[in-house]
Amino acid sequence: MAQRRGLMKGNADSLILCLLGQQPMYGYLIIKELERRSQGYFEFKEGTLYPALHRLERAGLIVGKWQTLPSGRQRRYYYITDKGHRLLAVKRSQWQDFLTAMNLIIQPART
Amino acid sequence: MTTLSHYLNSVRDNLRLDPPSEREVINELETHIEDELQELKEAGLSEEEAANTCVRLLGSAKLVARQIYEAHSQGTWRQALLASTPHLLFGLTFALNWWQGISWLLIMLVLVLGTAVYGWWHGKPTWLFPWLGYSLLPVVAAGLLLLYLPKGWSWLAIILYVPLAAWLVYAITVQTIKKDWLYSSLMLLPLPIVIGWFIAVRLEGSFPQFSLERLHDFASWVGLSFLALGVSVAIFIRLRQRWLKAAILIISGILTLIMVVGYAWSQLGLHTFLVLILLMLGIFLIPALLERRIRHSTGT
Repeated sequence: MAQRRGLMKGNADSLILCLLGQQPMYGYLIIKELERRSQGYFEFKEGTLYPALHRLERAGLIVGKWQTLPSGRQRRYYYITDKGHRLLAVKRSQWQDFLTAMNLIIQPART
Repeated sequence: MTTLSHYLNSVRDNLRLDPPSEREVINELETHIEDELQELKEAGLSEEEAANTCVRLLGSAKLVARQIYEAHSQGTWRQALLASTPHLLFGLTFALNWWQGISWLLIMLVLVLGTAVYGWWHGKPTWLFPWLGYSLLPVVAAGLLLLYLPKGWSWLAIILYVPLAAWLVYAITVQTIKKDWLYSSLMLLPLPIVIGWFIAVRLEGSFPQFSLERLHDFASWVGLSFLALGVSVAIFIRLRQRWLKAAILIISGILTLIMVVGYAWSQLGLHTFLVLILLMLGIFLIPALLERRIRHSTGT
């Protein structure tokens, strides 16, 4: 679990950008989507999501907007910005390179 | 008070952001809690169980507040430059001997007062507080100059003027504490340095004719001390962690005082040095204690 937390902490920004790159989301939905798509592997300490969202917003990578739902409830949806898209593309490329290199070493050599 | 409102109050108490930003953060956490509670209750938990689980999943309120504060606390380079500008201007005024030109001093006064008033009415941004501190300097300087009135008059002036000036400084300090006590310390930081140099210069003669001969000798060091404060304030604005922000102010304040006393040891001596150090520490302790008292009395 501690190892997962460590991996999560180091890559939280990329994971959030990745989700928001597909559709705008609010905080609670981001947590649920991360859990669902990773099949429970990534469990965010929920309170720590918001500092990450605010940090990304301050960096101009995402932007938050309050929206009123038909039920009258308000939610703050986050949208990825152009700057966020550009960073996400760089991060994706870095991950692909990293995974390729890892696979070359971890997978048993084919004879 | 319910578990959840206690949790949200604890986050609010430790956020130390602008009121609009604070409201946004709390509203966002509230909507998160509503969603979470609904899901937990649909899963069969009681109201109390759901609230306790929700708080556990969110994690420590203080940690969440501190991390959100750190996401917001780092100022831009532009804000850092704006905040350090009054220190740099004051430093350059002495380092380049501009202090002898009355027109430059008037320009400085108008600039400082104008910027302070503008910032005060535009949401009290972080860069405002050093400007506010320098706009209080004429009030302090006038009080110090009253000591040089002819005998008899000086005491009368002190009895009438000092309480009024102290009340003004106190009222502005209390207003800044409502935002964050660190900003009060940022505002008052140059005060012990100015008093230190004022005592070191030891004006000779009586009001309004003074001999400023000694100020010529000290001018470049006076300038250097305020330039050093300007650099520290720029670093303060750029730092994220609160304890580091407090540390840079305390360390730079004390080091600058040591520089003042070191250069003017024969004029100041140990007793004055100790009094100035106490004043510098008071600039940090008193706003922190006042903030605690104000928060306690308003129940937030």
